[in-house]
Amino acid sequence: MSQLILTIIVFLPLAGVVALLLIGRGQRADERALKWIAFLFALATFIASLALPIGFDKSAGLQFETNVEWINAFNLGVRYHVAVDGLSLWLVVLTTFLVPLALLSSWNSIHKRLREFLVSLLALETGMLGVFVAMDMFLFYIFWEVMLVPMYFLIGVWGGERRIYAAVKFVIYTVVGSLLMLAGIIALYYVHGSQALNYTFDIATITNDVRSGALVIDPTTQTFLFLAFAIAFVIKVPLFPFHTWLPDAHVEAPTAGSVLLAGVLLKMGTYGLMRFNLPIFPDASHQFATLICTLAVIGIIYGALVAMVQPDLKKLVAYSSVSHLGFVVLGIFSFTDQGMQGALYQMLNHGVSTGALFIIVGMIYDRRHTRLIAEFGGLANVMPVFSTFFMIVTLSSIALPLLNGFVGEFLILIGTFTSTLLPHARLFTSLAALGMILSAVYMLWMYQRVIFGEVRNPSNLKLGDLNFREKLVLAPVAALVLVMGVYPSPFLSRSSRTIETIKSALGAQASLPASSRATNEQAEMAALPGER
Amino acid sequence: METIGINYRAILPETITASVAILIMLIDAVARKIERRVAGVVCLLGTLAAAGAVLSLWGRNGETSFRGMIITDDFRTFFAMIFLVVAFLTVLISIRWIEDEALPTGEYFALLMFATTGMLFMAAANDLVMIFLGLEITSISTYVLCGYRRRDLRSNESAMKYFILGSFSTAFLLYGIALVYGASYNPMAQPLATTNLQLIRERIESGQLFSTEMLLAGAAMMIVGFGFKVATAPFHVWSPDVYEGAPTPVTAFLSTGSKAAAFASFARVFILTFAATSFGLGSSALHALQSATTTALVVMAILTMTIGNLAAIVQSNIKRMLAYSSIAHAGYALVGIVANDWRAVAFYLLCYVLINLGAFGIIEVIARRGDKRVEISDYSGIGFQSIGLSSALALFLLSLAGLPLTGGFMAKLLVFKSAWSAGFHALVVIAVINSAVSWYYYLRVMVAMFFAEPATAFKPPAVARSTAAAIVLALLGTLYLGIVPGRVLDTLERARDQMTQPKK
Repeated sequence: MSQLILTIIVFLPLAGVVALLLIGRGQRADERALKWIAFLFALATFIASLALPIGFDKSAGLQFETNVEWINAFNLGVRYHVAVDGLSLWLVVLTTFLVPLALLSSWNSIHKRLREFLVSLLALETGMLGVFVAMDMFLFYIFWEVMLVPMYFLIGVWGGERRIYAAVKFVIYTVVGSLLMLAGIIALYYVHGSQALNYTFDIATITNDVRSGALVIDPTTQTFLFLAFAIAFVIKVPLFPFHTWLPDAHVEAPTAGSVLLAGVLLKMGTYGLMRFNLPIFPDASHQFATLICTLAVIGIIYGALVAMVQPDLKKLVAYSSVSHLGFVVLGIFSFTDQGMQGALYQMLNHGVSTGALFIIVGMIYDRRHTRLIAEFGGLANVMPVFSTFFMIVTLSSIALPLLNGFVGEFLILIGTFTSTLLPHARLFTSLAALGMILSAVYMLWMYQRVIFGEVRNPSNLKLGDLNFREKLVLAPVAALVLVMGVYPSPFLSRSSRTIETIKSALGAQASLPASSRATNEQAEMAALPGER
Repeated sequence: METIGINYRAILPETITASVAILIMLIDAVARKIERRVAGVVCLLGTLAAAGAVLSLWGRNGETSFRGMIITDDFRTFFAMIFLVVAFLTVLISIRWIEDEALPTGEYFALLMFATTGMLFMAAANDLVMIFLGLEITSISTYVLCGYRRRDLRSNESAMKYFILGSFSTAFLLYGIALVYGASYNPMAQPLATTNLQLIRERIESGQLFSTEMLLAGAAMMIVGFGFKVATAPFHVWSPDVYEGAPTPVTAFLSTGSKAAAFASFARVFILTFAATSFGLGSSALHALQSATTTALVVMAILTMTIGNLAAIVQSNIKRMLAYSSIAHAGYALVGIVANDWRAVAFYLLCYVLINLGAFGIIEVIARRGDKRVEISDYSGIGFQSIGLSSALALFLLSLAGLPLTGGFMAKLLVFKSAWSAGFHALVVIAVINSAVSWYYYLRVMVAMFFAEPATAFKPPAVARSTAAAIVLALLGTLYLGIVPGRVLDTLERARDQMTQPKK
C-alpha cells in the first residue's frame, strides 16, 4: 500500500475525469451531480494525500517509492519512478488541498461547458501532482508538459475578455522554456551516462552521483545545462524579466484557474530549481547566484511597485505574486538552511494566501462582475464576515507576525543576511526587506479602499455576505494561515533533512553550523516574537 | 547469399499490391455497376495480405535476389510496414469520400495500390536503378491522383505543378545516379561500374573509385532529387500548392506515404551506403563524402525546419498549414539522417504518418464535398459542437507539436537523442527551438476550434464508419507509440540492416 499510495494520489483525479466523461453521456447531465463527483474525487485525493505527512519518516530521504521499468529499448532507461521527500511532500499536500477549494469556490460561477471545466481541473491536478512526485526526468518532463493542456483550456475557454491572448502567451512562454529543458535533459542523460556508465533519466541516481563525485560535470557544460534547466524554471516562477505572461494569465483565467496557477503552478519553477539546478549543478549555481538574486530583488521591488498602482484587484494580486516569488528565489540562492527552508515554507504560504486572495477576488467578482478597486469601498458595513476573512488573508500576505507569511519571509531574510556563499548578501537582504514594507503598503491600501469607509457606490449596498459554501472555502484557509504561523515545526521538521542534503551538494562550506534541529528551533523562535 | 533464379518470395508483398491494383481495374472494366465499396474492401484485404507477406520476411537479413536488385532486411520490412499502414488508412478514409464526390472508384484505388507498390520497391531496392523505378511508379501514380478531381481548377493546378517539378527533380536524381555509376568505375573489378548499393559501398570504403569528385557531384545531385521528394528546403516550394489543391485523402497519402518512401531511399543511400563505416577503416573518398554530405544535410535540415515552421505560422488554409508543418517535420527527420540513425528516422516516420493521416482524415470529414471548409476560420467554434472530432484533431495537432505521451514526442526525443549522441549539439538546440515555434500554429487551430465563437453555421458532420475507424486507429496508434513504445522500439533495436550482417 505504501508503495502504491503515491500512484493512487496522482491518478485518482484522472479516475475522476473518466467518471465525469462516462456519466450521463448523451443526455444533458445533471450539473449538480457532475460537480459533486468532481468535488468528491478531489476531496478523496486530499484525504489520501494526508497519509503522506502522517507516515513520513523525517530521517529518511525518498519515501513512498515506486520504481518500475517503463521503456528500456535503445538504452533509454526510462522508469516510472515516483517518490516524495521533504521537498515535495508539502507541495503535494498543498496541491490536493487547493483543488477542492478551487472547485468549491467556482461552484456557481461556471455557466458554460461545466463538464469540460471539471475535466480540465482534475486533469490539471494529476499533472501538477505528477510533476512533484516524478523522480525520473523523462516522467517529470511528461507531467510538466501535459499539464499545460488543461491549463490552456481553462484560460482559453472559461477566461475573461483577452483569454485567447493570455492562453497562447502562457503556453508559448512555458513551451520555449520546457523545450530548452528537454535539450538539457537529453544532454544531462549523455553527460551522466558516459561518465557513470549508466544511462538513466533517474533524478535520484544523477543527484547521488554528483554528490558522491561519480559524476563531475565540467564548468562549461555545467553553465549550459544550468541555463537550459533554469530558463524553464524561472519562466514558470516567474522571475523578472520573464514575468510578463503572469499578469495576463492570472487576470484572464477563471477563479479556479488563477488559484491553481498562483497556488501550485508557480511553485513548480522554484521546486525545479531546488530539485535540479542546486543539487546537480552546484558550481554553476554559485556562479549564477548573484545574477539570479539581483533579478529576484528587482522582481520583489518592481512587482510591489507595479502592484501598488493597479486599479484592478486581480492584477494587484498577480503582481504581488511576482514580488513574493522573488523572495522564494532569493531564499533558494542564499544557499543556507534557513534561506532554503524559508523558501520552501514561503512556497506553501504563498500557495495558501495568494490562492485565498484569488478566491476572495472571485467572490467579489461573482457579486459585482467588476474587479476595479474604485468600484468598492465600505464593504465592511455590508459584508462583515467577508471582511474578516479578507483581513486575515491580507495580513498573512504582508507577513504579519503570528501568521504564516512571517515565518517564511523571516527565515528567508535571516538566511540571506547570514549567507557567506552569496556575494552582496546583506545588500540583497536590505533591498528585499524594503519589498516587505512595500507589500504592506499596497496590500493595506487596497484593503482600506475596498473595505473601509462609507459605502459610496449604491450598487454595493445590497451585497450579500458570505454564504455557507463560501465560508466553508475560506475557513480552512484562515485556520491554516494561523496554524502555519504559530506552529511551523511539523512543516519544517519534515523538510529539514532534504534541505540539508541539497545544501551538502552545494559544497561543505556551510554558512552556519546549523543542524536540522537548530533550524527548527530558529523557525519556532521566529514565530515567537509575535506571541508576546 | 544470392539465390539463383527468381525468388518470388522476396517480392511477394509487391506482387500482391500490384495484383490487387490490376484486379481492381479488371473488376471496374467488367462489372460496370458493381457496388462501389468492393474496390475499397479488396484494397484493404490486399494491404493486409501484403502486410502478412512482409512480416514473413522479417529476420531474413541481407538476402538479395534478382541479381542484387532486391534486398530483404529488417530495414526493408519496417519501412514496408509503414507504407502498408499508410495505404490501409488512406483507403479507409477514401471509401466514403470517393462515394460522396461521385468520382470513378476503380482507377482511384488502383492508382493508390500502384503507388504503394512503388513505395514498397523503394524500400526493397538494393540498386540505384531499382530506387529510381520505385520512385517513378509512385510519382506517376500520385501525379494522376493529385488531379483526380478533374473539374476542380485547384486540383488541376496541383497535378500540373507536381508533375512538372517532379519530373524535373527526377532528372536530377537520375543524373546523380549516372554520376555515381560513373564514379564507381574500377578497371580491376567485375562488373566494371555498378549501380548496386552494396558494391558501391565496398568501393567507397576501399577507395577503389574512378573519381571522388564525380561521386561527390553524384551525391549532390541525389540530395537534390531526394530533397525534392521529401520536400526539404530549398526544394520544398511545390508542396504547399500541391497539398492544398490535391483532394484531401490524396494529400494525406502524399504527405505521409510518398514522403516516408523517399526517406526510406534517402536513408538507404545516405546512411547505409554513403556513410557506411562498419567494415574497414574507410578511405579518403569516404571521408570526403561524409563531410560534404553531412554539411549539406545539416544546412538543409536547419533551413527546412525553420522555413517550414515560420511559413506555417502565417497560413490561413489548414491544408497549407499542414503542408508547411510537414516540411518542418521532414526537417526533423532529416536530423535523424544527419545522425546516421535510420532507426530513429523509421520510428519518426511511423509516428508521423499515423498522426498526419489521422489529422487529414478529420480535415477531410470537416471539409466536406469539394473541400469547401478548409480555412482555419471555418473551424471557429466547432470545438464543442462536434467534440469527438475536434478533440481528436487537437490531440493530433498537439502530437505534431510534440506533446509527451503521444507518438510525436517519442519520435522527436529519439531523433534528438541520436543527433545529440552523434555530436550535433547545436542542431538539436535549433530543432528544439523550432518545435517551440511550431506550438504557436498548432495552437491557432485549437484556439479557433475551442475558444472562438462560431463564424459560420456549422452542422456536425456525419462520420462514415470507415473514416471513423481510420481516425480511431490513428489515434490509438499515436497514443500507443507515445505511452508504451517499448515493443516497437525493441523490434527496431533488434532490426538489422544490410550493414549489420556478415559479409559473404
